[in-house]
Amino acid sequence: MKRAGYVILVLILLVICVKSCLHADYPQTVKPALQPHSITEDINYPEPQKNVTIDGVDYLQSQAPVGKFGGTLVASTIGEGPKTFNPFNSKDNISSQLSEIMYDGLLSTNAVTGEPIPRLAKDFTVEGDTYLIHLRKGIKWSDGKPITADDVVFTWQNIILDGFGNTSIRDSIVIDGKLPTVRKIDDYTVEFKTPQPFAPFIRMLSSPIAPKHVFEPAVKKGKAYFDTFLSTNIDPQTLVTSGAFKLKEYVPAQRVVFERNPDYYIINTKDEKLPYLNKLVYLIVGDINNEVLKFEGGELDVIGLQGANVARFKELEKHSDFKIYNLGPNTGTMFASFNLNNRKDKNGKFNVDLKKQCWFQDKNFRQAVDYAIDRKNMVMNIANGLAAPLFTAESLNSIFLNKDLKPYDRDLEKSKELLKKSGYYWDKKGHLRDKYGNHVEFDLYTNAGNTEREAIGVMVKQDLEDLGMKVNFKPIEFNSLVNKLVNTLDWDMVIMGLTGSPLEPNGGKNVWMSNGTLHMFNQRPANYTKDDRYEWEKRIDYLYTQGALATDFEGRKKFYDEYQAIAYDEKPFVYIYSPLIISAIRTRFKNVYPTPLGGMTYNIEEIYESEVKSET
Amino acid sequence: MQILIYILKRILQSIPLLIIVSIISFFIIRLSPVDPLAELRLNPSVSQETLEKETQRLGLDKPIIVQYGKWAKSFIKGDLGITSNGEQVSAKLKERIPNTLLLTIIVIALTWIVGIPLGVAAALNWKTPFDRILTVLTSVGMAIPSFFFAVLLLIFAVKTGWFPIGGLTSSNFLEMTFLQQVWDITHHLILPVTVLFTLSLAGLQRQMRANLLDVLDSDYVKFARAKGLSEFDVVYKHALRNAINPMITLLGFEFAGLLSGAALTEYVFQYPGLGRLILEAVLKSDINLVMASLMMGAIMLILGNLIADILLIITDPRIRVKA
Repeated sequence: MKRAGYVILVLILLVICVKSCLHADYPQTVKPALQPHSITEDINYPEPQKNVTIDGVDYLQSQAPVGKFGGTLVASTIGEGPKTFNPFNSKDNISSQLSEIMYDGLLSTNAVTGEPIPRLAKDFTVEGDTYLIHLRKGIKWSDGKPITADDVVFTWQNIILDGFGNTSIRDSIVIDGKLPTVRKIDDYTVEFKTPQPFAPFIRMLSSPIAPKHVFEPAVKKGKAYFDTFLSTNIDPQTLVTSGAFKLKEYVPAQRVVFERNPDYYIINTKDEKLPYLNKLVYLIVGDINNEVLKFEGGELDVIGLQGANVARFKELEKHSDFKIYNLGPNTGTMFASFNLNNRKDKNGKFNVDLKKQCWFQDKNFRQAVDYAIDRKNMVMNIANGLAAPLFTAESLNSIFLNKDLKPYDRDLEKSKELLKKSGYYWDKKGHLRDKYGNHVEFDLYTNAGNTEREAIGVMVKQDLEDLGMKVNFKPIEFNSLVNKLVNTLDWDMVIMGLTGSPLEPNGGKNVWMSNGTLHMFNQRPANYTKDDRYEWEKRIDYLYTQGALATDFEGRKKFYDEYQAIAYDEKPFVYIYSPLIISAIRTRFKNVYPTPLGGMTYNIEEIYESEVKSET
Repeated sequence: MQILIYILKRILQSIPLLIIVSIISFFIIRLSPVDPLAELRLNPSVSQETLEKETQRLGLDKPIIVQYGKWAKSFIKGDLGITSNGEQVSAKLKERIPNTLLLTIIVIALTWIVGIPLGVAAALNWKTPFDRILTVLTSVGMAIPSFFFAVLLLIFAVKTGWFPIGGLTSSNFLEMTFLQQVWDITHHLILPVTVLFTLSLAGLQRQMRANLLDVLDSDYVKFARAKGLSEFDVVYKHALRNAINPMITLLGFEFAGLLSGAALTEYVFQYPGLGRLILEAVLKSDINLVMASLMMGAIMLILGNLIADILLIITDPRIRVKA
């Protein structure tokens, strides 16, 4: 009898505990649907920012509605936080993202059209290989010193071109072993010259500019010192910056706090200095789940959403104080690739079996596989409908996208026709055999642990088995996979993803040029001299070279359109889909004009908080 | 004097142990097929030169034995090396150690302050309703896996809004007055402390209860009672002193867990302690950081045991005679 009493007591305690945790959750009723259209289409974007000169100072005037000053925006980054506050040392996304807030570049990108627009520069002209930049007069670093041509020349000559810090910018502007030059014309004019016309250079002018009086002593101490310069344990007050916000506080593993730069050069239509927000906070969270919890709990104001969370938040949106934006497909591409390698390894053995080479190097075979893949099914079932089927080498939000290349549905009949054309046939058991009678069987790799790619692998395997092929799906550890792709080259088919740039196809030259380090579908060993390129590889090499040399957009687009058409036809990569970018932001923030190219908060100086929460 | 020689002996004994631990962990990390540069290799915008530069900088082009030798040499000199991002390992650890210590010390102090008296009380009230309720409650505490308990509490915080969702300080911490800052930290600590406290309390309370029950049953306690000593003297002067000995050994182990014991909870609550730092280091195969943390764990364990042994020598005359 006594014992029963205890049991009841414990049960009651438990029930109280559980009860307080459970709260009416809104039921998930809406099934995710294909959302190919970006809901940003019905946003009325303000006019582009204009140059205005007041009392000899060249301001940039925002044309967005005038807002209220004050307030805080809390965003987040996933991972371990910034590794450095030196914009020229950043090797990871978070460090670069934060340094972009603190240091402005000469140019930036119009988030709607993708055109280069002036930022620290007042205006710029491009003539062939010559770039003339006029700087704004009267604008200052956060310590009050003027920003002049000396800073620009120093940044380019002594930091970037001399190879200090992260050399990726320098690497990408080496043309035939030669570097561009930079020259000061007067205090507010700088001239850049590339060795030959080189269109991608204009995008590089958005790299940050460093204050010479701060960076010069560090550069003089050499490269090793520069690598540790402005590390994360620096006193925030000593950073000299030019961006809309300056660093206020960095708490490791918790947050980075920025405060408004009171002397910024962007003004509103009432000639008041922006930004509106007092503070910009980046919380450093360890994983996506915690980020979602923080957004739900109101600690975060803006968040990127993925997978099942989107459907749930879509439901919550009706009762809550946030709005969800679909920013369209991102630059990520998911694809399956064949190994078109026809060379022998060091031991004289073929990297790919001879009989497999016959299949993979057959264009009909690759196209047949392409038609057999059910992209829509994968978008619906793997990406929760939050992706767009992909058919082109450039990502769907690229300004260079070739819009003539049309998407199509799965077509097994067409696949079979293509295979028959190359002499394939089906035996009594329905197995696919090539003209020599070999059963078509190969391995499909991807990196284990990436559940999305594993799911795609399973579906690709099923789709291809409908054609009578036997596919051995083998997810392996990421590093072993990279080793296979880059060094040993002994793979048949792989599912991978890469990210590109929506603004500059030339970034993909390592993938598409036949001597590239990531030319994975026909990877040549380093220092390979024999010319055994396929005809279409030769053509792509030519198009990539010419595309970088042409300077006007239309001229360039012609070359890149053709390369996409070749990729669309030859199918070295069978593209599958691009995920959509879904973001949510609290509705009390106004002047929010998200774009597929710029994301949510590219215009951070214009965003304001309509009802400023009392600081607690 | 004797005690000093004993300590010296113990320290000398621990040196080969540390060497073995370091060799095993170094080789396991390096022989596992994790390539710290795999991400870079698959980045289309990274050039071959950059890859080669990185390989050299991280010393990956040398044989493992040479790499180990280099590491061991600088470790003995007290230099923990740099992380794969070029930051000082010691600086990174220094950022996090105080936070982890704050959490674990509060938890250990709380469990001992609450757990020991509860254990004693339960033993003295053996088989009464009080004892039984405590037994059930501590069973519940032991039964919930810490990870899920932490997640449950986080969801609780989201739904009720009573507690902050992870972290250690609020974003406007700098503008607060001192008292507000103390309250802010306390507010953030409540949930993680609750998780760790519930877990370790159960074990400690039961251990104490069992020890005291054992001792209360022994002949000398019966003798003390027969001698006519007051119940207070019997329990607190004779029984408790003997029952506490095994607890001191336990304290040694708790000491070892000071820096690493809370890693899982830290991760769930996004607590800026060592746990998150080391987890990421392991995933990225950031060898210097991982080695530093593993060595730290080994040293803490050796130190903890040493402290426990010394405490035992002080509290237990029987051991003193043997030593």
